[in-house]
Amino acid sequence: MNHLSEEQIVLHYYGDADAPGEINQHLAACAECRAEFERLQSMLRQIEPLEVPEPAANFEQKTWLNIRDRLPEKGGFLRRLFGAQQKWAVAGLVAVLVVGAFLAGRYSLRPVPPKSDGTTAQANPQKIVLVAVGDHLERSQMLLVEIMHNEDTGHIDFTAEQQLARDLLDDNHLYRVSAQQVGDPQVARVLDQLGRVLAEIANGPSEVSSSDLEQVRHTIQSEGLLFKVRVIQSEVNSKLQQPEKLSGGNANQRL
Amino acid sequence: MEVTDAAVVAQVLAGDRDAFRVLVERHSRSIFRVVYRMTGNQQDTEEIVQETLLRAYKSLERFELRANFSTWLYRIAVNRTLDFLNARKTQMHKDAYQIADNPDPEESSQIQVQAEAPGPDRLLLSAEMKRKIAGAMGLLTPAERVAFTMRHMEGRSIEEISQTLNLKVSAAKNSVFRAVQKLRQQLEPYAGQGSPTRPTRWGGSAVK
Repeated sequence: MNHLSEEQIVLHYYGDADAPGEINQHLAACAECRAEFERLQSMLRQIEPLEVPEPAANFEQKTWLNIRDRLPEKGGFLRRLFGAQQKWAVAGLVAVLVVGAFLAGRYSLRPVPPKSDGTTAQANPQKIVLVAVGDHLERSQMLLVEIMHNEDTGHIDFTAEQQLARDLLDDNHLYRVSAQQVGDPQVARVLDQLGRVLAEIANGPSEVSSSDLEQVRHTIQSEGLLFKVRVIQSEVNSKLQQPEKLSGGNANQRL
Repeated sequence: MEVTDAAVVAQVLAGDRDAFRVLVERHSRSIFRVVYRMTGNQQDTEEIVQETLLRAYKSLERFELRANFSTWLYRIAVNRTLDFLNARKTQMHKDAYQIADNPDPEESSQIQVQAEAPGPDRLLLSAEMKRKIAGAMGLLTPAERVAFTMRHMEGRSIEEISQTLNLKVSAAKNSVFRAVQKLRQQLEPYAGQGSPTRPTRWGGSAVK
């Protein structure tokens, strides 16, 4: 009599073997195979699933906060179009404010003393610029983080990253020029480096290979770009949290 | 009435990114359980849960609204875990075979022995068995480990395993079989109240 194979016995334990009726018949007739099956059964029955610890009560909230900023925007064509128009409008406004504030600071005969009665309701151009730059840096940082953590599956769909890079590229140019004009070479230099990476992504293929991805990552890493962007963003945020310095400052203050 | 997962997905696809939070809140915990059974490590599991949700968000356009979102997410989670185990195996290849001698309690408690009336002798045997189980699990390939966990721990069918891991049914069966075979070679001498049993008919070697 041919005995059952080990594979047949194992799969039969889980109910996955072919011809289970025949195997049952064989087990009933063959003491040796039955003993093998019982031994396997005995061992596997002792193995039970690991008890899973309950995550913290705020686990879902923590998970959401950790991923929220890494989620790229989605939406249909109309929404993207609207979003782009809105962004261009903001960019245009920012450009006007930057240039206006720059010229006002440059040609005014003497500095205007800050108003002390606290009744000024006009928008502070520099603060608006800082908010816009902060937003730009945050989005750029998200893109860079995304690329650094993108799963390398051989052929990576880069459509979303490419679209975001294109969107950021125009703003980046505007802010780089502004930074140069207001005399902040450090920020201008980082934005210049960022612009080159953005251009590389924006003008590259929508599906990249592992080596392409590695090359972009290498550029980001070798220039310490992510770190520099974080530093500038942190500076911008800290300046935004000091309204008294902003309200009385001139337009040539460094970004 | 609770909004369905499909409706939330549609909302996200329409551009409401924050709506994704609903799906995160609904499914994070169940993904955590699935992944933890395969990694045995809380920190790794939390990272994989995040990666799973990110991957799901990015691939949301490919989700068919008539399908079951939790099943779809489960598949992503299992594959992310498999990727993680593969990456870790590559990085820590040298250490893989040391687990048996020096198990990390967090890393290695993949499976447990049932505690039936645990007297002192049994507790000792149980601890010894756990060490052996940890060592045996360390010898499984990531695919075997995942397939075994799905079949043995979660009671998933071979068809589900093959679909989730994108394998042929025969390959899924083979992964489960290989996993059991390796576990058996390592554990069977210690099963049955701790007294070594006689060798299997196959002498611990592969059949075929």
